[in-house]
Formats: sequence, C-alpha cells, structure tokens
Amino acid sequence: MSNVVIDASGVSKVYRLGVTGTGSFRQDVKRWWNTKLLKQENPFFQAEQAKASEIWALQDVSFQIKRGEVWGIVGDNGAGKSTLLKIISRIIQPTAGRVRGKGTVGSLLEVGTGFHPELTGRENIFISGHLLGMNKAQIREKFEEIVSFSGIEQFIDTPVKRYSSGMYVRLAFSVAAHLEPDILIMDEVLAVGDIAFQKKCLDKMQQLANDSHRTILFVSHNMQAVHHLCQQAMWLQRGKLVSIGPATEVVNSYVGSLQQNKLRHRWLDANTAPGNEYVRILSFELIPGMPAPEGVIDVRTPLTVRFCIQNNEAGVLLNAGLHLYNYAGECVFDVASPAVVCEEGMVKGECHIPGHFLNDGAYYFSLIVVRDTSIPVYYYEGGIHFEVADYRENTAWFGKWKGAVRPQFPFSFGPDHSPSTGSG
Amino acid sequence: MALSAGTNDHWDWEVGSRSTWGSWSFQELWAYRHLLFRFIRRDFLLNYQQTILGPLWIVLQPVLTLVVYVLVFGKWIGVSTGTVPPVLFFLCGILLWGLCNDLFTGTAFIFTWYNYLYSKVYFPRLIIPFSITGTHLARFLIQLVLLLVVFVYYWFWRSQPVVLNVWLLFVPIAVLLVAAFSLSLGLLFSILTARYRDLSNIVHLGIRLFMFVTPVIYPLALVPQGIRWLVTINPLTALFEVFRYALLGQGSFTAGQLAYSSLSIILMLVLSLVWFNKQSARLIDVV
Repeated sequence: MSNVVIDASGVSKVYRLGVTGTGSFRQDVKRWWNTKLLKQENPFFQAEQAKASEIWALQDVSFQIKRGEVWGIVGDNGAGKSTLLKIISRIIQPTAGRVRGKGTVGSLLEVGTGFHPELTGRENIFISGHLLGMNKAQIREKFEEIVSFSGIEQFIDTPVKRYSSGMYVRLAFSVAAHLEPDILIMDEVLAVGDIAFQKKCLDKMQQLANDSHRTILFVSHNMQAVHHLCQQAMWLQRGKLVSIGPATEVVNSYVGSLQQNKLRHRWLDANTAPGNEYVRILSFELIPGMPAPEGVIDVRTPLTVRFCIQNNEAGVLLNAGLHLYNYAGECVFDVASPAVVCEEGMVKGECHIPGHFLNDGAYYFSLIVVRDTSIPVYYYEGGIHFEVADYRENTAWFGKWKGAVRPQFPFSFGPDHSPSTGSG
Repeated sequence: MALSAGTNDHWDWEVGSRSTWGSWSFQELWAYRHLLFRFIRRDFLLNYQQTILGPLWIVLQPVLTLVVYVLVFGKWIGVSTGTVPPVLFFLCGILLWGLCNDLFTGTAFIFTWYNYLYSKVYFPRLIIPFSITGTHLARFLIQLVLLLVVFVYYWFWRSQPVVLNVWLLFVPIAVLLVAAFSLSLGLLFSILTARYRDLSNIVHLGIRLFMFVTPVIYPLALVPQGIRWLVTINPLTALFEVFRYALLGQGSFTAGQLAYSSLSIILMLVLSLVWFNKQSARLIDVV
C-alpha cells in the first residue's frame, strides 16, 4: 500500500471576471434575451464581454503528498496558495483536474472560524471542534488541554464577545491546534497573539510536525518558519508550480528569485532615463556583498549601493542622498553624500551599508539629487526594492525579531565578578 | 479505470471539477450529526440570550398573533369558523403556518447568511438547512404544548366536545410534510437568492401572499367554488385541513388531495435536495 495521502493531478481554477456572479437577475435575463433570442450583440454587452477576462488562479498543478510529511507552500500574494488550500479543503471545486485524498482533513484557513460572539467560550469550543470534524468524545477528551493552553480558564463561561481580541485569538488557535485530523491545513496562523503566545504556537506546531502520522500543509510568508518546520515545499507563482522538493532548496530559490532583476537598474538611453533637464539617472544598483551572486540577502549581508547620474549643467554644486524605506513606509535612514562642484557629464556615487545592521523585512531605496545642499533637483523614489531574509543562530525564538534595525553592538553578559557594592 | 483499481488503493474523498447528481454521502452526513445538534442548540441559546422572558417567547409570539387574528378576522371581519371556537381555530392555523413561514425564511438565505462558514471550512452543506429544520420542529413541539393547554381549558371550562378521530395519527406525518414543503422551497430559494440578490426583496412579500392561498385564517369550506382550485392546487391546503380535522373535528379534504399533497411534496423535497447538493459546491465562488 502506498502511503500517498493527497494526490493532486492537473488542478486548475479559473475565475471569470465580469461575466458571471454579477448577482442581478435582470442582467442575466437581459443577456440571455439579447444573445440567445435576438441573436444580436448589443454593443453594451460586447464591451462587457471584452472586459470579461479569465484569471487562472491555478494552472495544471500536480503533486503527491505522503503520510507524515510537513509541507510548506510559498509564493507571492495572489500566487494561488489560498485557492489551492481551499480546493484541498473541499471548500471550492477546481475548474479542471482533481484532488484525491485519504483520511480526514482539518483546515484552519482563518483563526476563529465558526466562533459566535454571543456564545460562551465553552460552546464555541464545541462548535469549532465539530466544524473541524471532531466528535463529542474527542472534544471532551481535549477540552481541559485546550482551555489551559489558551490560558483563559476563568472566562470559559463568558460570551466570547466580552473577550479581548488577544484572548479570542488564543482560544481559537488552541481549538485548532488540538484537533487531530489526519491532514492539517494551516494558512498564516502564526501571526496571532502576543510574543509569548506566538512562541507557544510555534512550539505546538513543531510538536505536531514531529508526529509521524500527521500530515501538515502550511502556508506562510515567514520563510524562516517554513524552512524550520517543513521538510518539503512547493513554490507557486501566478497559479503555476515553479518548484517542488526539499524545503531548503525551494525556499532558497524562491527568496533568491525575489531579488533578481530588482537590484540592478541601468538605462542605456539618457533621454528615457528617469530624471529631468538637469540630471538623468543612468544606473542605480544594489550589490550584495556575498560570494554567490544568486544567494539570499539576509541580516548578515553587507550591501553596496552604486549609482551613476548624468549632469547637464556646468559648475553646479551637487550632492546625493539615499533614503531607505521599509514597507511600512517609514524612513529607516537618510544618508547624504558630500557636496561637490560638478561639470557636465557623468557623476558616480557609492555607499556601503555594513552587514548586521538591517532587520529582516522588505525595503526600498530612493535616490535624491540636491543642488547647493538645499534645493532638490530630482527625486527618484522606490528605485531598488529588496528583501532582507532572516538569519539567526543560537536561539530558539522564531517569531518576528523586533526593531527597525538589528545592529550587533558589543554586548557583554555574564556573572558579576566585580567587588560587591551592595548591602554586604 | 478498472486496471488502475487493482494497483491503486482506496481514496476517502475526491474533489473534481464536476459534482455529479448522485454525489451523496449519507455516511458523511451521519459523521457530522454532532454538528447538527450543536447548531440546533446554538439557535436556541442565541435566540433568547439576554432577553428577559427567554424561551417564553416561543409561546408568546403565537399568543400575541392569536389575539390580533381573533380580533381582526374573528370579531371585525367575521370569518366563520363553524362550530369551533375562533381561538382554537386560529391557533391551529397560526402554529402550523408559523412552522412553515419560519422554516422557509430561515433557509431561503443560507448562502448569504452562512457564507462566513461555508467559505472557510468544509462540512456537508446540508447540515445547516437540516439544523434549521430541527430548530423549528423543536419550537413547534413546544408550541403544541400551548395548544394542549388551550384545549384543556376549552374542554373543562367551556365544555367544548373533544372528538378524537383516527386522523390524529396522521398529524405527525402532516407536520413533517409541511416542514418538508418549507424546507424544499427554502433550499430552492437559497440557491436563487445566492445568484440573484434581487430576489431577497420578493421572498418575504411572496411568503406573506402565499399565506392567503393556504387555509390558515379561513376554512377551505368558505372559499367560493369558482376560485377554489387556486387554493386546492397548493399542496399545503389538504395538510392544514387534515391537521384541523384531526384536532378540532372540522376540515374538508379528500384522500385524493392528501395523496396529491404527499407525493408532490416528496418529489419537491428530493429534487431540491439533489439540486442543492449539486449547486452548493459551485455557489461558494458566486456569493
């Protein structure tokens, strides 16, 4: 007997935009009347027809998952990860292809699914448990554990609408983490609760993953967690399976791809290059300081920003500034070059950012050219987008590392051997 | 296929691009029975949470309706209820129609109301309409106690003769058929309202108008011969009449009408269940 528990072959899902699902009876009747009975194409409907485009949320995805494996699914937003999970969970049907499976599937696509605000924590535990396919005896057996894991013993007979959002999420995750389906599907569930609870969740996930009978499918944007928890991974891009295999390889090639082609920008024609009558930006590049060019920028990687601009005005005092923004839109730093008098022609600039400085996350550089140290000449916003991956050693903590930056300052820590000045 | 069956092993479930008409799994429905009962329990808890009178509302609602009906239809308009006191006559109609109305309006919008569950987690989609049916049948049973109390009052204090007849045995079947009628109509409309939101405006009006072609506030005998076909074509008519005949000893129906009602309702139920089962997987993308 083979131990394949999920077999997907040729799974595709098409969403039609504009044609169906308009939800109006009048429109449907009108369309039917016009196209089928009158055999005429109303210009309005033609326009509508042309607008209607098909979106392939998934395109010919096939894979097999064996019992006990822990799979990570990675990809950009809109790559089809959630659609795939919804099909495997049997919530929606594929347009083509099929998924076959063995054993019960418990899906946790959203924490707190099925919770009703008016009901007590106790009632909600039972409803959620039943929704996830557990029977009464199984829930009773796990009840104490669920309640103590969530840490809300006192409030178990209070309607959940009176809970704080933290308590709510903790209870919801506890129910889900204690259910015992053969196949567990989890979508972005790590981003719940406070840091202490996140740690608890990850430990629980680890414990579930170690169980050799439990098959887990796990979608996350936290590459470190995918890398750490999963043995296997698949990478989806625009509905297609790009890569499938051991988690380390897939995650590395995914993260690597995020950076390629985004780090180097060169414009060959000065007339179309970004800029104005005074200056044109001819190149703007980020060069990571690492041995392999396809490697992954992580928190250890030193970075070099290099740019080249064409100055069209003779004898002008110019300087450049580099702004680094994170994706929350906050400026992490603003460094300015020294100001120099420039003649017409090329002007080069280079700036080094040491390793062990940026925190993990997504960033972009903007370049500003300033005249007479006060008048902005040209601002090139969002020139280079890049991501800094996480890297850590000697720690068991896999939650988000706090801080805008993550510098390594000298830090000593140990038993105090200096002569005591205390109460002695 | 036959060749691969030998080499390949058994799959518990399969998700394909088409749902067949016969994709039924009674086993699966049975496996989720706990959820069904939990939903019924939830409905009861939710309805009377934070109300002063609590579950008393289950009987208060028909009582208040009864007062209005007795005053308006009994006293002012003077609908003749024959030898039966108006209170008993109207109460029977109100209770049975209440089941019909609540069950229909409760199930006609499930795709919109329960989308938060349907689009997030898989469970047999029929569990929700079945649990709503269960809730309303349970409410109806509680309301029957009210009917019994009123009966006892009329029997002892007003010496209203009680005519027990063999049709009393048919009452549970009549009630189940009425529920089946409302459920199948509700299932059909749940699919239609999911596709065409416009319909939700008509549904409430429609069921209110439908009451007037059902002998709820009048006995069938009162309907003029010329338009009687309009009322008798309604499968509910014979059931309402037999319900009142069994309890009050007054009602007009024939065996043929009963057979027509039963068969058409069973046919409707089967068709609506099959259609619902087929459409439900697809509708999640539409709602």
